Amino acid sequence: MIHLLALLFYLGAFGLWLHFLMKGAKGGGPKLASAVAAGGVALHALALVDFWRDYGELPLVGPGAALSSLAFVGGVALLLTLPLRDAERVGIALLPFITICLGVALLVGIEPSPLALDFQGTGFVLHVAFAFLGYQGLAVAFAAGALYLVQHHELKSKRLGRFFRFIPPLATLDLLGRIGVWAGFAALTAALGFGWAWTVANRGSLEFADPKVVWAVLSWGVFLGILIARRGAGRSDHRGALAAVIGFAVVVGTYLVLRLTVGGDGLFL
Amino acid sequence: MTISLAVIGVSHHTAPVEIRERMAFGSSEASRALLELREELGVEEAVLLSTCNRTEIYLSPVRPETDLSGVEALFRRKSGEGEAISPRHLFRKDGEAVVEHLFGVCAGLDSMVTGEAEIQGQVKEAYERSLALGVDPPMAGPVVNRLFQTALSVGGTIRAETPINEGAASVASVAVELARKIFGQLGGKRILVLGAGATAQLMVEALGREGVRGILVANRTYERAEALAERLDGDAVPIDRLEEALPQADIILSSTGAPHHLLTGARFRTAFPKGRRHPLLIIDIALPRDVDPRLGDENEVYLYNLDDLRKIVDEHVALRSEAIPEAERIIRGGMEEFRGWYASLQVVPVIRRMRRQAEAHRAAELERLFGRLDSLGSEERGRIEEFSRRLLNKLLHDPTVRLRKGMATREGADLVEAVRFLYGLEVPEENDEADGAAAGRSERSEWAEPEGEDHPGGSDAPARSARNPHHGAIE
Repeated sequence: MIHLLALLFYLGAFGLWLHFLMKGAKGGGPKLASAVAAGGVALHALALVDFWRDYGELPLVGPGAALSSLAFVGGVALLLTLPLRDAERVGIALLPFITICLGVALLVGIEPSPLALDFQGTGFVLHVAFAFLGYQGLAVAFAAGALYLVQHHELKSKRLGRFFRFIPPLATLDLLGRIGVWAGFAALTAALGFGWAWTVANRGSLEFADPKVVWAVLSWGVFLGILIARRGAGRSDHRGALAAVIGFAVVVGTYLVLRLTVGGDGLFL
Repeated sequence: MTISLAVIGVSHHTAPVEIRERMAFGSSEASRALLELREELGVEEAVLLSTCNRTEIYLSPVRPETDLSGVEALFRRKSGEGEAISPRHLFRKDGEAVVEHLFGVCAGLDSMVTGEAEIQGQVKEAYERSLALGVDPPMAGPVVNRLFQTALSVGGTIRAETPINEGAASVASVAVELARKIFGQLGGKRILVLGAGATAQLMVEALGREGVRGILVANRTYERAEALAERLDGDAVPIDRLEEALPQADIILSSTGAPHHLLTGARFRTAFPKGRRHPLLIIDIALPRDVDPRLGDENEVYLYNLDDLRKIVDEHVALRSEAIPEAERIIRGGMEEFRGWYASLQVVPVIRRMRRQAEAHRAAELERLFGRLDSLGSEERGRIEEFSRRLLNKLLHDPTVRLRKGMATREGADLVEAVRFLYGLEVPEENDEADGAAAGRSERSEWAEPEGEDHPGGSDAPARSARNPHHGAIE
């Protein structure tokens, strides 16, 4: 029930941002949208604490629980943009991802997997937590990158319409994208390290053909690709934005393909 | 009900800039003028608003038939020598038209550029000047106080709730808006100015206000570049070393009179052999253009020429115009509120007279009764007197409360007329208006007056008139 309320708050915040995009964000409007999103994050935190109290484990294993936690990290990431002027407006691109994650989690059921007992220990918790941070870093970079490309298009087309007025400056989006990619890359690298250590310690060796491992390594490669795109001659911020959008699409697309084809054990992938 | 207000002045609708600039009052000059209006003409309440587009004096109490030639004379003296200010340059509005005018001015509806933001601050400054004048009674008295407070609130609401001030509406402010949307904070950004055109200088000043500090000036004549650089607190660059200056710039403002493209693709590639890492905003307002338009195809370059900027301005102005009906709706709401408040001032003298009349009847009836009943002792007399007073207060309590509440509605003025008719109070007494103004001036104490008050006729109007010999003199 609290999860559903949190979802409604996220949807409400997204609706407000959409409204401000169409009608113009005046006065305290943006603050209201951020406050609604913050309300969603607070409720979401309550729901996850409830899960932990009910089941005696962290909501990290099982598709519903994991997606809910991933969405929660996204909500927290959105709140972390608040100190940067106008940066919270990336919510218009980030909130759909958060609501989809939480919506799917609610559809499949937010409950522990029967196999969850195999997945325990500090190493595993750190692996999953850092992985969520990594993927949300990529999601933030995607949101900032997508808005960057739209703003770039507005400036080039010289139309300066409602998108131009609503979207934050290119420099802000570039900074946000850079923070998202670097933080995400560092977190995912740590997640892979913890995951490898946990697997070796608990299962003897790492199975490279495991779809989860394939997806994780591919995601890490995507981060690396975005970071490389941000270096070199020519306009790096524009290239970085484009790479973040493509990279996010590749990561999400690969997840869906792997999930629908090879499936895995149903825990996360 | 006539609102006792007038505004007289010049604006961009009525007077050319040659007249307006001579009518502009500095802050201390405006204070002196207000004091002069008080001392010489006996003006009770006034605010002097002076901006580059208007010089207006708001006055109260003033009736439409009031002669304001004294105020006109002040304007004539201010305009001084040269082309004389004539009646066609001056405008005057009275009553509700003043309220509507000021609310429109405050919202930027009467500005040259619809919705411009500065006027709200200028109105506030003018109002605060009157507040701070330190004269007794205050120059920003009850009517002017309420008028300006409501105007500022209406202006704020319109800006907060409508797109009236959205989008830059001048070429210079479009340049600033573009720079903001590309670079975010402009502190630390550098501008390269090509040529010494007046519009480019305006843009540099506008960008300077946003924090842009590093300014490079390149001109065909190095001496002119140096002179302009000195004026803008920047550095001069020889035009033949443009390639060296280009990498240092984040923004280029170009307005030379060169007959050919000054900034070509070849020059750009020489300056950035490996391409440019960060965005470059180029504003080319020269005719013929200084910048090869094909440079705009470079991914890192945002190139705008004069036509682009004008098109953006036109679009923004159109957007602002769309907000006018909504702004006018908010203004009508503000006018309604002000009208209600003003009408409530009119009710005070009516209530006082109604109570005074009832009190007179009570006293007369008691006297008649006590004349017939000589045997009554002083204790009985006291009780009967107390009874009559209580009865009177109870009878008048509800009508008084309802009348005050009713004044805030559209039917308020009709209610007052009805009470005047029912109680036979049609002929106004000498102090009625002073009573109303006093009610506004000390609104809290007057409105908090207990219904069982023992001195219904206790107006302080005569005393105040004695303190202020100019009261109502303009009328």
